[in-house]
Amino acid sequence: MNRISLKKQNGDNGRAYLYILPSLLVFAIFMFWPLFRTIYLSFFDWNMIKPDKKFVGFENYIELFQNPLTYKILGNTAAYILILLVINFVVPYILSFILSMMIKKGQNFYKGIIFLPSVISLVVGSILYMWILNPISGPLAIIAQVFGVTLPVWSKSEGLALVVLSLITSWKVFGYNFIVVLAGVTGVSQEVIEAARIDDVPMHKVFWDIILPMSSATGLYVFIITIVQGLQYVFTPIKVVTQGGPNYASSNLIYHSYHEAFVLYRTGMSSAFSIITLVLFILLLIIGFKLVEKGVYYEN
Amino acid sequence: MGKNILKLISLALAVMLTLTGCSVSGGDAKESSSGSQEKTVIEYWHINSESVGGAAVEQLIADFNASNDHIEVVGRYNPEEYKGLMQNLQAEQAAGNSPAIVQVGWTYLNYFSNNFEYTSPQEIINKYSPEDKDFLNENFLPNIMELAVNSNGEQVGIPYSLSTPVLFYNADLLKEAGLPEKGPETWEEVIQFARQIKDKTGKYGFYTREGPDSWTQQALIESNGGKMITIENGNTRASFASEAGIEAFQVYADMVLKDKSAIHASWDEGFQAFLNGQVAMLHTTIAFMANIEKTAQFDVRAVSSPVWEGKERVVPAGGCFLAITAKDADAQKAAWEFEKYLYSVESMAAWTKGTGYVPPRKDVIEAENGLKTYVKEHDMFNAAASQMDGVASWASFPGDSGLQAEQMLIDVRDQILSGSVGVREGLSQTQNNINALMEK
Repeated sequence: MNRISLKKQNGDNGRAYLYILPSLLVFAIFMFWPLFRTIYLSFFDWNMIKPDKKFVGFENYIELFQNPLTYKILGNTAAYILILLVINFVVPYILSFILSMMIKKGQNFYKGIIFLPSVISLVVGSILYMWILNPISGPLAIIAQVFGVTLPVWSKSEGLALVVLSLITSWKVFGYNFIVVLAGVTGVSQEVIEAARIDDVPMHKVFWDIILPMSSATGLYVFIITIVQGLQYVFTPIKVVTQGGPNYASSNLIYHSYHEAFVLYRTGMSSAFSIITLVLFILLLIIGFKLVEKGVYYEN
Repeated sequence: MGKNILKLISLALAVMLTLTGCSVSGGDAKESSSGSQEKTVIEYWHINSESVGGAAVEQLIADFNASNDHIEVVGRYNPEEYKGLMQNLQAEQAAGNSPAIVQVGWTYLNYFSNNFEYTSPQEIINKYSPEDKDFLNENFLPNIMELAVNSNGEQVGIPYSLSTPVLFYNADLLKEAGLPEKGPETWEEVIQFARQIKDKTGKYGFYTREGPDSWTQQALIESNGGKMITIENGNTRASFASEAGIEAFQVYADMVLKDKSAIHASWDEGFQAFLNGQVAMLHTTIAFMANIEKTAQFDVRAVSSPVWEGKERVVPAGGCFLAITAKDADAQKAAWEFEKYLYSVESMAAWTKGTGYVPPRKDVIEAENGLKTYVKEHDMFNAAASQMDGVASWASFPGDSGLQAEQMLIDVRDQILSGSVGVREGLSQTQNNINALMEK
């Protein structure tokens, strides 16, 4: 009896592995293999075409930590995260609260309009913005001129370049985040809100004490993807508009890995950079989960 | 009902997937089997976007494909100019492929020949087409051919696009500011003109190309007697931070930072601003002539690249040479056949008309079937054609660090023009860094 069930279980296990196999293969080929290869390459000095790779041990990592540029790019990355969190996490939250609680007419219209930019390619968007925001001859510059304002050349100003690129990225990311958050906010049970209304609880308190905690599962999801995806999406405007310039002021961790690998062809440095990025993000996410996870409310 | 729609959608998606899959694999095919005869398909890599002769390249390729039955040339555009092409080629080679013919920017001459496999044009001619063995000697001036000779003395390719920087200007704006219509001749005049334009019209006076290279900066520095690169005891060293170099760059930085009469912006922004009449003078390659002529809604003219008072003009040769990177015999043979077509008087003339590049081949400017009438009609072209005696090679840093050296020059330009570092300090430090890099 016992033996039979064991055997049956083994058979089931085998079948289960068989079912996992396709996705496991895909993961192995497109995720694990590149990951190990990147770790391997980070110990070499190589430009992708030379037949011989020169083993340099930890030299790439040492150079990386000694280079002030690394810290500048870390700073930029943090700045991107903060700006993107404000625009693509905080603002959609407030906006979806307003839309679900206060605006009764034309909800679908607003949803459509706000979501629309998400379907347009970011490359197209970047080029479009480059034209609109041309500080000397773009439409915005001409309007500003009427009021006697000269726009700064943002693409060549440290600090400002980063902010504008974040705005371009938000144009793409905002809509999706908004729809997801809206679903979470609308999902909060109406009875609780009705009860609060009857007790004359002010709106900001409804938001802070009821909506926020009760939609926190969705909130956490959007929080995480804003960080992770936002940084990947930023890559496109950086590549199209500034190429990391001026003097690396708009580069972030991901773009700089690309820059080292496919502009300067220093594969080893780029790999080392990627590994550092990976480690940093793992740490960041662990901390994020540890801090936030406890307070999250899951309905089911 | 709902299920049926779902089914329909998934079916449509499946069809779309297979279709796109097909088109991708079709694009990769090297041999096309349409028609009874097998055509040799070769790839030609260029950097000619819509604004620099993109249409002319496509026309030349189409005419060539129509004129013969055994070769099909596929043009492939590479963004971000010669730097971008070099990077794509590197990726392509890492994947084990190579196109047949590539445009190599002058500044990548040494980097290209150190890192990629190519075949010298004369070698290909001797092998596949002995009747053309004097083609290169007869049709090209020795000093022009020399532009494509690397530091080891090898002929890497044949000069194709030859451009020099000129000064385009908006004559309407100059008039408005009370300046002579014939434009400035010296850098001293450019500075003064720019100042006056800023004062009188409120518009920017001057923009010099800030591309993904330091080409126009080379014209500025070398015309003042500086040198981007010098060779000491057989060693190549960066030397742009000489007194002459610093002096010239200081003047440029002052225009941007002190006078605010010149603008520090990315190439796209600066170029657009000039075309919209917001910047009076644009220092850039003659290769934009055709585009500027077509787009500008004002009285646009050009003069030769400015000189410093009492000094000789030096203009770096921009553009590219064509190198043959094809590996197998069929492709190499086809590559030469296509090149011979590109270097014919008619094709060269078409190339100049589509871009503004000065033809590297002898006799094209004078020939009836060449540019004889064109030169008369296009005054701006003379600004480039008349300064060919001042042509110097585009500074090319040798060795593996070439790309990095070029990047450092771009970085320091941004640092100086944003005012975060002084000219002397920035240039000296960059020069030291590049030299240290090349010694490694």
